[in-house]
Amino acid sequence: MNGAEAIVQTLVHHGVDTVFGYPGGTIMPVYDALLDSPVEHLLCRHEQGAGFAAIGYARSSQRTGVCIATSGPGATNLITALADAMMDSVPIVAITGQVPTNAMGTDAFQEIDILGLSMACTKHSFLVTEPDMLCQTLHQAFTLANSGRPGPVLVDIPKDIQQAPASWQPPLNLVENSVHPDKAACENLHKALELMESASRPIAYIGGGVNMAHATDELRQFLQITGLPSVCTLKGLGTVTPDNGAYLGMLGMHGNRAANTAVQWCDLLIVVGARFDDRVTGKLDTFAPEAQVIHIDIDPAEVHKRRAADVVFHQPMQWVLAELSIRLSINNINKWVDHCQRLKAEHQWRYDKPGNDIYAPHLLNQLSRQLPDNAIISCDVGQHQMWVAQHMAFQHTRNHLTSGGLGTMGFGLPAAIGAAMARPDDTVTLVSGDGSFMMNVQELNTIRRRQLPIKIVLLDNQKLGMVRQWQELFYEGRYSETDLSDNPDFISLARAFGIGGRTLTHRDEVAPALDEMLSVNGPWLLHVRINAAENVWPLVPPGAANHEMLEQHP
Amino acid sequence: MSIQLQIQCHQQPDVVERILRVIRHRGFTLNTMSMAPSNCGGKIELCMTVSSPRPAHLLVTQVEKLHDVVELRCVDATSNNT
Repeated sequence: MNGAEAIVQTLVHHGVDTVFGYPGGTIMPVYDALLDSPVEHLLCRHEQGAGFAAIGYARSSQRTGVCIATSGPGATNLITALADAMMDSVPIVAITGQVPTNAMGTDAFQEIDILGLSMACTKHSFLVTEPDMLCQTLHQAFTLANSGRPGPVLVDIPKDIQQAPASWQPPLNLVENSVHPDKAACENLHKALELMESASRPIAYIGGGVNMAHATDELRQFLQITGLPSVCTLKGLGTVTPDNGAYLGMLGMHGNRAANTAVQWCDLLIVVGARFDDRVTGKLDTFAPEAQVIHIDIDPAEVHKRRAADVVFHQPMQWVLAELSIRLSINNINKWVDHCQRLKAEHQWRYDKPGNDIYAPHLLNQLSRQLPDNAIISCDVGQHQMWVAQHMAFQHTRNHLTSGGLGTMGFGLPAAIGAAMARPDDTVTLVSGDGSFMMNVQELNTIRRRQLPIKIVLLDNQKLGMVRQWQELFYEGRYSETDLSDNPDFISLARAFGIGGRTLTHRDEVAPALDEMLSVNGPWLLHVRINAAENVWPLVPPGAANHEMLEQHP
Repeated sequence: MSIQLQIQCHQQPDVVERILRVIRHRGFTLNTMSMAPSNCGGKIELCMTVSSPRPAHLLVTQVEKLHDVVELRCVDATSNNT
């Protein structure tokens, strides 16, 4: 056995059935070993695509995503995907080839110090310099990627280490470093319960950490028992099912006005797996100004970072939520719950916009109603991303793939590919914009290569829509480099990759076109022309408080 | 505010670089630094003074997260309070 074969055997040991990557000189031994292994390799057409596919695989399945690249440009092309996984806490193991150890540091062909480059965008990174360390390093990478707050881990492996004789080694028994309930945690429970019982306007603010902690069931039970109103972050969407009457929707810059208003005036904020992100809080010192805070997060670095908390828990979320699941006094919160429900009713989304143009929010809402509960939506970044968050309903966080923290255009298409590989029995739909779609458009060939039945809804306003919107609202209509009227013919482009499609321009075409797309066996592109002047509403302007949301052009 | 960090970490070629990167990125300035082998095998002891208008805990919790950091003690360098 050589090092490369040991690498592949380690992947098998960790239950990896699919990897995404692109071969090259210094990773060739691994690609040779993959040929004889049960691990399926999906060739993407750019390493960034392979990285995002691994993220889509991981997020849709809650397993570890694995991507592979060669040294130099192969490795640097992974960087954006690693940064995305870092910001959104996605467990990824990235394996990169490196020039042979005796050539390292000599500016050899396709040599780059990926260990140095990866420091800011991974949870940790390793350079393997001894064949004997190879298996244990990979085992550590899988453990680290999934422990505590999950994240990406990179393992850089010089070519001579891949070629050297090696023997496979099982993982050493590592001591898990999790925080267990102790006396202090029990005292904190007591304080938190006191706060909950004395609050008259409590609300739960729920983030993506709940799903990452595998605590979705406990969270739903917590909400059901306590009767608390709740709001979700972009990454938390799907944690609370839309049929929960006290759920107010997404909060933040493009959140629902009901959600933002309720949070602003609450007196107790129970923060579960969220981090007071700037897109959530708006002007920080005006965010929920009267609220005391209970913060539940596994990462101590997120607590007191942007907002001081009154009670803090780093213990396993399932345990904390179970302990806090008490029936709150109806007398205390009855009026508040009624108030939140009135807010929710007052600020329902409306789809009765006049005109013949296709109204993207309505189309997405129609699509959402037609898709099965277990369908996966992957989206890119921009206006369409916010419309997806606002107007589509999710039964689970795993069904909504979005680049939350890094906000990476080009995320959606390869992430959809990863999801389609992870969950081949579920419908995968990509919602993209014309700007984002072009950023990783080469991955259409990855769809063709594997004949993945991904449905693509391309909302085309011939603009970089979100930037154009900000130029309209905050730069006096000075439109700088946001015109995309020279886009290619998207239907012809898709056809070149063997993907059929249809262009829509009028509202009355929407329903039959959605039916057609969902009935096609195989991939399909729905090219939807929308009005370039359409903006995402409501909007908290930069530097404003969340209760100062704009509903329309000021 | 100036703080002193006493860090014990695994002796890895990249560990100092990682700590310095976090110090810079989180808005702290490195003022002094010394390094010595630890009495515990395979580890090193770092002593650093850093300053920033930001509260110390914002740095401490980030450095503690680094994989190779074993232990961190933070001392307020202006008052010598641990």
